[in-house]
Amino acid sequence: MPQQVGEVVRCYHCGDACGGDHLKAEDHDFCCQGCHAVYGLLQESGLCDYYALSERPGAKVEQDGHAMRAELFDLPEVRDRLVEYSEDGITRVTFHIPQMHCSSCIWLLEHLQRIDAAVLRSRVRFTSKELTVTFREERMSLRALVELLRRLGYGPSLDGRGKASTGDRGPGVPRILYLRLGIAAFAFGNIMLFSFPEYLGADASDDQLKRGFQFLSLVFALPVVFFSSTDYFRSAWAGLRTRQVNIDQPIALGIIALFARSVWDVATGIGPGYFDSLAGLLFFLLVGRWYQAYTYGALSFDRGLNDFLPLVVLRRTGDAEEPVAVGDLRPGDRIVVRDQELVPVDAVLVAGEGHIDNSFITGEPLPVRRAAGEVVKAGGRQRGAAIELQVLRAFADSHLKRLWEEHAAGTDRPGMPRLIDAVARRFTVAVVLLAVGAGLYWWGRDTAQVWPVVTAVLIVACPCALALSMPFTYGHTIRLLGRRGLFLRDAEVVERIASVDTTVFDKTGTLTERGAHAVRFVGPAPDPVTLARVRSLAHNSLHPLSAVLFHHLRGHAGHATEVAEEVGAGVRGEVDGHRVRIGSASFTGGEERPRSNGSAHVHVSVDGAHLGHFEISKRARTGMATVVGATACLTDTYLLTGDLSVDKDVADVFAPHQVRTGCSPVDKAVFVRGLQAKGRRVLMVGDGLNDAGALRQSDVGITVSETSAALTPASDAILDVRAFGDLPAALRLARSARRIVRASLLLSLGYNITGVAFAVSGQLTPLIAAILMPLSSVTVVGFVSLAVWLRARRLGLSTRN
Amino acid sequence: MSVIFLLIAASTIVAVVFLAAFTWAVRSGQYEDDRSPAVRMLGDDRPAVPTNPSNNTK
Repeated sequence: MPQQVGEVVRCYHCGDACGGDHLKAEDHDFCCQGCHAVYGLLQESGLCDYYALSERPGAKVEQDGHAMRAELFDLPEVRDRLVEYSEDGITRVTFHIPQMHCSSCIWLLEHLQRIDAAVLRSRVRFTSKELTVTFREERMSLRALVELLRRLGYGPSLDGRGKASTGDRGPGVPRILYLRLGIAAFAFGNIMLFSFPEYLGADASDDQLKRGFQFLSLVFALPVVFFSSTDYFRSAWAGLRTRQVNIDQPIALGIIALFARSVWDVATGIGPGYFDSLAGLLFFLLVGRWYQAYTYGALSFDRGLNDFLPLVVLRRTGDAEEPVAVGDLRPGDRIVVRDQELVPVDAVLVAGEGHIDNSFITGEPLPVRRAAGEVVKAGGRQRGAAIELQVLRAFADSHLKRLWEEHAAGTDRPGMPRLIDAVARRFTVAVVLLAVGAGLYWWGRDTAQVWPVVTAVLIVACPCALALSMPFTYGHTIRLLGRRGLFLRDAEVVERIASVDTTVFDKTGTLTERGAHAVRFVGPAPDPVTLARVRSLAHNSLHPLSAVLFHHLRGHAGHATEVAEEVGAGVRGEVDGHRVRIGSASFTGGEERPRSNGSAHVHVSVDGAHLGHFEISKRARTGMATVVGATACLTDTYLLTGDLSVDKDVADVFAPHQVRTGCSPVDKAVFVRGLQAKGRRVLMVGDGLNDAGALRQSDVGITVSETSAALTPASDAILDVRAFGDLPAALRLARSARRIVRASLLLSLGYNITGVAFAVSGQLTPLIAAILMPLSSVTVVGFVSLAVWLRARRLGLSTRN
Repeated sequence: MSVIFLLIAASTIVAVVFLAAFTWAVRSGQYEDDRSPAVRMLGDDRPAVPTNPSNNTK
């Protein structure tokens, strides 16, 4: 059955829209040869369940220089990084596979042995996107295994991770946190049970039993204090040493007070102590920590330049070609770059015709033509036949490397005071003053009351609910936005987004679509048959604009014959007995028309008569005007672009003074800095590496990413294009989250004040503490969870995108 | 009433056994990947028989 969705035919394998004359096989549609090949491979091995688990699960097989990259896996250094052990011809390796994204991926990757019997076992670790394969190396080389994975569309990446996961590595919740949480939960439950006789009023005859329970509680509380709480002590101590007040100090103080007071009470036989409150406190605090790690750790933001660039390139010496590491290239070396490969260093084109796609650097998808003698900057991707280049600068000095380093250097952003730190500072001072004050008061009246009252104040003032409100509010916000397709780095980003008052958009690739073009015919509209003939001719040309035309036009005509392509002019040929020419104005006998920046003209003539030209320009993203409009209601908006003029549909949504054209990457960063100098907090929305400087300079940098595997520079947040329309709502949600945190802080302060009232009057019994502590935590967490969810629902962000 | 001490001792031992089991589960990495085990059981494990009819014809 054809996968018909409205007008668009979707590829059975990867779900991309299929072009006009896509492949059809066994009732399924495929967008390209790559997808069809994977299907064939799976069918041969009886693995078509792959398509049953999720709909259109495949990853498009990209042909970017794979043939060469596979050679890399023969190098001993690379091998050493991946292989965990290798004995008696059996080898185990762990790969990082970023394309893994759904149930089908897991299923297929764990059934590799059905495709090749040399594989003995393969196991996926989904959270870290790792695949561990055990295979017989005498029957299949490591390189062959990598090539198999590539053929399936799951090429491993070499991003500095290596070997297998032992211990705490990569994103996610560290193991030790689970242990700490488990121990605290265990102690909390048991100590609560042991405390029941005390609270339910066991009489004097049960004294022996009560003493036994008290000592048992003490024993169970030991691992809580000495294992589960160590992070808090460490953080509090680190703060003390650097003379900084943080939220962990009153918490550590509270834990110490709880433990010391309880041990004293039990040892002197005064009472049962507060062990249940202590274990409960740690349990709730650690749940907060766990949730924080769970929500923030899902995405790895820090990608190195090596993820984007080939590590090895072909060097030509005389007639021989040898692979060489990019870092070893010297100025003057000759390198060969094939179709779809990245040029890794700044170089001069020596032979061949360059069609360089700079989308990685600038976001501009339309390739530019380079002739021999012209400079090609690092990061450009060749589209077309292989070219030979002479290295101009070593990798370390290249334009790309400098851009990247400018970008990566700025990890320490001008710090914005975090709300929690500001609150913690006042809170800690207040607690200490209060404890000292209460102590002094009782010193004059009843010295026996000093110790109980001071410890009680410290116990009850422990900011447990305070410490929970922020991880949960921001954690929920991050999780909800993540489900929509906006991935935030951490809680601090939510806070920074909330304080933004100016939004700066990049144009190319951000407000306009990367791959899509608007094609318009200028002149009297030709009949469909002519268009089909033009399409047929365009199919024979390697020029990128021809490819755009071919995909845009519809209809079938006869094959073009006698095709001749003239470099820099156009292509001509005969279709159905008509002489068709497409290309420049002079080539087709038309006259040159003025063109707006960023658009290209392709003239057409049939049998010597000039018909007009196609105007090919970038297309604005769907809903772009709405998004910019809604953002403008919340913040000031600006538009920056490297182009010299702006298309009308984009310019219309900005006031003229808000648009800056002709910006270099540095200009963009300078513009953002200028706004900040005026006291503005700036949100930068960009996409390519040319925005990297501005993304870093801004208070919040959001990178728009077209596919999950897209090459995006690291930033504070990554916005999937499908969530592009959610941007204004996300701003609103972040602002609401900040208000919700403030409200919850008031709520938890209310609990603290109630508790302190009990404490200073010397009435804080273990029972009251045991009720107050969990009650405050649960209500605060419940309040913020509900508030965030309700707000998100009103903004239309509560469902998966 | 002294029997209660025996019961408490027994229940505490059981609880500690569960704690040990939990510790083992964490250390063996079971909490690090909560997605793939759930998927693993969905695919059937029939042997690798080619379903391509052309392979079956003589």
